[in-house]
Parts: sequence; C-alpha cells; structure tokens
Amino acid sequence: MEKLIETEDLYTNFFTFEGVVRALNGVSVVVNQGETYGLVGESGCGKSVTVRSMMRIVQEPGKIVGGKILLFLSSEDRQKGIDIIKRSEAFMESIRGDDISMIFQEASTSLNPVLSIRDQVGESFLLHRRGELLEETLKQLADELKSNGFPLAMAWKGFQRWLFRRELESLRRYEKHVKEIDRELYELEEKTDPRSTRRKSSLNARRDRLSEHDFLVSAVKKSPFLERYYKKIHKIVENKIIELLKSLGVPNPANVLKSYPHELSGGMQQRIVIAIALACNPTLLIADEPTSNLDVTIQAQIIELIKMLKENIITSVLFITHDLGLVAEVCERVTVMYAGDTCETTSVKELFKNPLHPYTKGLLSSVPRIEQVEKLHTIPGTVPNLINPPAGCRFHPRCPSAMKICAERKPPMVEYKEGHTVSCHLYPGEEV
Amino acid sequence: MSLLHYIIRRLLLMIVVLFGVTLLVFSIMMIIPPGQRVGIYVQHEKITPSQMEALIIKYGLRDPAPIQYLRWMANVLRGDFGHSVTASAPVSEGFKMYFPVTLELVLLATPLIIIVGIKLGMLGAIHKDRSIDHATRVFAIVGYSLPTFWLGLLLLMIFYGYFGIFPPGTISPDSKDVVFSAEFINFTGLLTLDAILNWRWDIFWDALYHLILPTINLILLNSALLMRLMRSSMLEALGQDFILTALAKGASKRIVYYKHARRNALIPAVTVAGVLFALLMGGMVITETIFARQGIGLWMARAALMLDVPAIMFNVLFLGTVFVTVNLIVDIIYAYIDPRIRLG
Repeated sequence: MEKLIETEDLYTNFFTFEGVVRALNGVSVVVNQGETYGLVGESGCGKSVTVRSMMRIVQEPGKIVGGKILLFLSSEDRQKGIDIIKRSEAFMESIRGDDISMIFQEASTSLNPVLSIRDQVGESFLLHRRGELLEETLKQLADELKSNGFPLAMAWKGFQRWLFRRELESLRRYEKHVKEIDRELYELEEKTDPRSTRRKSSLNARRDRLSEHDFLVSAVKKSPFLERYYKKIHKIVENKIIELLKSLGVPNPANVLKSYPHELSGGMQQRIVIAIALACNPTLLIADEPTSNLDVTIQAQIIELIKMLKENIITSVLFITHDLGLVAEVCERVTVMYAGDTCETTSVKELFKNPLHPYTKGLLSSVPRIEQVEKLHTIPGTVPNLINPPAGCRFHPRCPSAMKICAERKPPMVEYKEGHTVSCHLYPGEEV
Repeated sequence: MSLLHYIIRRLLLMIVVLFGVTLLVFSIMMIIPPGQRVGIYVQHEKITPSQMEALIIKYGLRDPAPIQYLRWMANVLRGDFGHSVTASAPVSEGFKMYFPVTLELVLLATPLIIIVGIKLGMLGAIHKDRSIDHATRVFAIVGYSLPTFWLGLLLLMIFYGYFGIFPPGTISPDSKDVVFSAEFINFTGLLTLDAILNWRWDIFWDALYHLILPTINLILLNSALLMRLMRSSMLEALGQDFILTALAKGASKRIVYYKHARRNALIPAVTVAGVLFALLMGGMVITETIFARQGIGLWMARAALMLDVPAIMFNVLFLGTVFVTVNLIVDIIYAYIDPRIRLG
C-alpha cells in the first residue's frame, strides 16, 4: 500500500510555567492511501497532539521539537515525500483544509459563534478554490454581457469582468510562482549542505512573503463598502454550500445557511464541522473524537456518515477515539498510544484477537462485557505527569509484566509479525 | 422590523427612566430651603426679607412637593430650566454655549480612543509576552496611573511651554474675531464643522490645532482600560476551539486574528467604549480646565461650587439622557456583533 502521511519519531513539547510537558515521545505512525486508520488511547495520551502536529496547528506554548512529518500527496512526490515541518507557513496554509482537513471533538465550540454557517463553510471554498470561483463568475458575466440591458448596468458588469479577470490573472501568477518555489524546494528536500540549507530557508521565506494581490484588487478586497462587488462569487459559493450540505444529509440547507451555530442541534453542528472539512474534497480527513460529545443515536448517524464519505469521497481517514468499540466498527488499522508513546500498531482484527502490548491487553480487558459478573478489570495507577515522565518505557510503573530493563531503556518498535509492530521489551527484535 | 420595534420599545422605556431621573433630581432640589430656591427664578443679588417672602409665595415654593414638581416639570417640558448664575444666562442658553465645545472634543477623541485601545489591545494579545506586548502594557500603566491634571499640565508644559505649539483654548484670538463677526454663521456651534460650512479652512485648521493636545491627553488617559480589556478578551478568544477550526481550514494568521477572534473579542469592549463615551460627555472637568475649553464639564464644576441648582439639575437630566441613549446604541451594536443576543 502507498503511504499518504507518515510521522517519524515525532517529539512535541509544551513549554509551560510548570515545566516542559513532553507530550509526544517519538511517535511514528503511517497512514496509507485509502485506509481508515485509528489512533486509540486514554485522554491525555497525545492523540490530539499527534494529529495537530501533523497539521502543524499545535497552539502556544506547544512546539514540535523533533522528528519528521512526511507527506506523500501527488504522484511526483510519492518517492520521498515532503517533510512539512521544514516547509513555510504559507505552504501549510495551502495544505490545510485542502488536502488534509480535520473535524473536532466538540462541534459546539469548534464553530465560531458570531459567524453564520455560510461564512464559515464558504471560507473553505474562498480560501482554496478562489481560482475556480473566479472563472465561474467570469463565465456568468460573459453570458450576462451578451444579453442587452441598461447601459449603466452593462458598464458595471464590464468593469466587474475587468477586475475579476485582473484578480484571476494575479492569482494565476501567484500560483505559478508558488509552484516554481515548491518544485525547487522539493528538489532540495534531502540536501543538507550549507548552501542548499540557505537556499531552502530563503525559498521558504519567499513563499511566506509572496502575495497574490495586485494593488487594485486588494484595495477592493479590503474595502468594506465594495462588498457588493463580490456578490456574484458569494452566490456561487452559496450554491456549492447548499449542495455540500445536502450531500451530508442536512435538511433544508438553504435555511441552515443563514443560521448561526447556536441555532442548530449538536448533530447538525457536527455535520457543519464535517462540511467545513469536506468542502475542498480532502485526501485525508482527520477526525478527532468526532462523536464523544453526542448522544448515542446521533453518534451512530455521524459514524455512518463518515463511513459513507470514506467510501465515496475521501481517500483516507485518520480516526481518533478512546472507544474500542468504535475502533472495531470503523477502522482498518490501529495504533495504541500511551502517554506520548506508540505501543502497538496492527490491523483491527489482530488487535482484538492477539493483543501484544500489556497496555493494549489492559485496555481490552477493561471494556465492560454483558456476560461479565465479577468486578471490572482496571489498569492500576494513573496516567503519568508528562512534565516528569517515567524513564524508559512510560508504561512500566503500571505494567504487570515490567522488567528491570523497562525502567532503563525505551523499547524499540519491532515487527512481531507482518503488519503487527509493537514497542515492548517482552518482544525483542530488530527495530523497524 | 423587529429591530425597529425594539428601538421604539427602548425609547418608550427611556422616557420612564428619565421620569425617574427627574424625580430624583427634584427631590435633591427640595432639600434646599425655599429661600435659596428663589434664585432659580430671580437673579437679583440683594433682596430684602419681605421681598423674599413675596417671591416665595409668588412662585409657590412652600406648596406641597407634588404640586411643585408638576409646576417644575411643566417648565422643563416647555424648555424652561430656569436661570443659571454661572452662565449668567438661562440654562438652555448656557447649554448652547458650553455643549458644542465639549461635543467637539468628545466626537474627535472617542473614535481615536476606541481605535487606539482596540488596536493596541489586539497587538498585545497577538504578540503576547513579547516586546510589543510589554510596550503596550507600559503604555496602559502610564495611562491608568497618571493623574489627569498632571499629564495635562505636562503636555501643556512640553508642547506649549517649550516648543510653543498647540496652545490652550478653543481658537486663536485672530480667528475669534472672525467667528464672532456677522458673516460667520453659527450652524451647529461646533467650530470645526461651522468653519467648513462657512468655507473658512483657515479657521477649521486653527480650531483643529487647538483640539490636538486635549485629544492626546484624553487618548493617553482613556484608551488604557479599553486596551487591557481588548487584550484579555482577545486572548480568551484565541484560546477557543473555533480558532483551531479556522486554522485547520487553511486560514492565515491574519484572517484568524482579524476575522475569527476579533469579532468575539469586541463584545465586552463595546460596553466599555459606550460607557467611556457617555462619561466623557460630562466628565472632562479637569481636561477642560487645563486646556481652557469652556465646556460642559467646566460649567458643571463651577455650578456645583456656586450651588447653581438649575444648571446642575439640567446637566443631571442631560447626562441621564446621554447614558440611556448610549446604552441603547451599545445594545444595538451588541446584537449586530453577536447573533446570540436577540433584540426584542
């Protein structure tokens, strides 16, 4: 299978007043093209930080301090991938929401309360599909100009067409520049000599500075009085949103469009969040516990929706959850995380049939079963404080089969059998 | 339609509030003995006791309070607020004389205070714990802690005293002659506006020139509160989940700050800005004294010292109206910024 995104030994720290929180301790996960990948673990084990690092939206005071995040998007960069940690912020902005997008735990707080649904969903289109929108508008204007009308209205339309064309041209110019820079950066990707490094940083800086706007267009864009000028584009965007919402099973999308988040129910809000993420047909959808705050019936609906989308629209899904039942339901491959460590990675079947890592075993036996009569099994102890995490394997203080070496050395990730890797001293082997 | 209904309802409510204010004001007035209240109606310096008694009976100052209230209210509704000793004119005349001077300064300073406060507050939040943040903090502390009279005098000393620019007063003596001449028509009483309407740009610049220093003074003193409030509410907004959503959408930092966070952060700032505006309308006593501007604040202070009851009562009523109106405007702006707030 071909890789889509891969993290190699990712370290993310949070620099707080109490000390450095080492949230990720060398996380390596691989999401392949076309699969649904699960990330499981308790709260605070670094699942969310992992995916936020993948999108580089870890907020202050967090910082990615080590490792690589390789992205294999188009066919040309399939071979070595792009290390997005080293890329500019502008590059990331073009990736986020377009190729990779994300839906969040709590829909009610992840929607901006003061912006309408139209503004929030439409923003994705306006950010990533501006060129296409402009082209469509120009086509519309050309049709309208063919018919007869009031001279003044025609003059206004002609002016609009001129300005839209100008904007489109400047956008295309910008895209061309960006493509050139990205190609050169890609060629320099693996070179580490001082000259290439300098060249890379200067290219990255240039990409950040590069702006599409010519003077006139940005003046129109920024002036609040000329909002009407963009009415045509907004109309097209509106139609696109309505289509999108319809496909997500939102009833009466034309009305939902005008409403604000607080006027919608929890399930509907989550659908809107999904709509924002899906607006530009992403290759990878990251779902960060998308159902944990919904009631069970809505949960089922949302899960069905994600499964349906996975089949029809999105290539890959990275699904984060603490619910093992959901993992069994949705995912194909799973990584179990504990306190910033990856414990084991395998297919879902294998995980439930043949768990290797003591933590995974503990997790699985803590799931309540209907036929169970004795007391529910728990893992003794609590999740460690990540400011002073235990040395070696971070799970060893709670591990029933801890050995001396566990406190001394972090176990390497070994391949136990094909497609089943585990990081535990119980299973010695070659590091992969 | 619902907005119009809401405004009409609030305006009706405003009448009720103002009625309460008149009651309050009137009861304060009733504390003063009748002999002194004669001064509201008569302006002679020396009156014999028998004349005084005649006047008290003439104006019914010993009648039951409700009757006196009704009589007073009838006068007020007719626009007759009595005679102001400090303005040596009827109160309404005094108001026409003093109010434009204050209004001119407030109208110039308030937008600037709001812009400076919000802008610096946002900068502080965006660059949290970096040098820009520290600089705005110093600016805020200076603004908070410096007494008005000291800062005003300092500004006057530096600019007028040492450099000879930005003199106090409202206008230079030469322009004054023009302003009081027959061909200069007083449309609004606002010097700058009148100058434009009379097409006298020299006078406009002159009036503006005199406005600069008091405006700077007001900005330094008043934007601090707004700035700190904006900074903290901006930080709060930036910590919310929807900021992550916006980032994950591919929005740039600029869009996140200025579109997603600012609008949420503005909600508390609007209240403070409104209160600030209302306070400035009546409370610039010290600024007006220092910069020799004959405004409402100065008049009020003098009226209070000289027990000029009609002037005080009028101004209390006036400020009540200003506060109620500003509150209404703030509520409307609220509903505009935050859709969760429903009017009506």
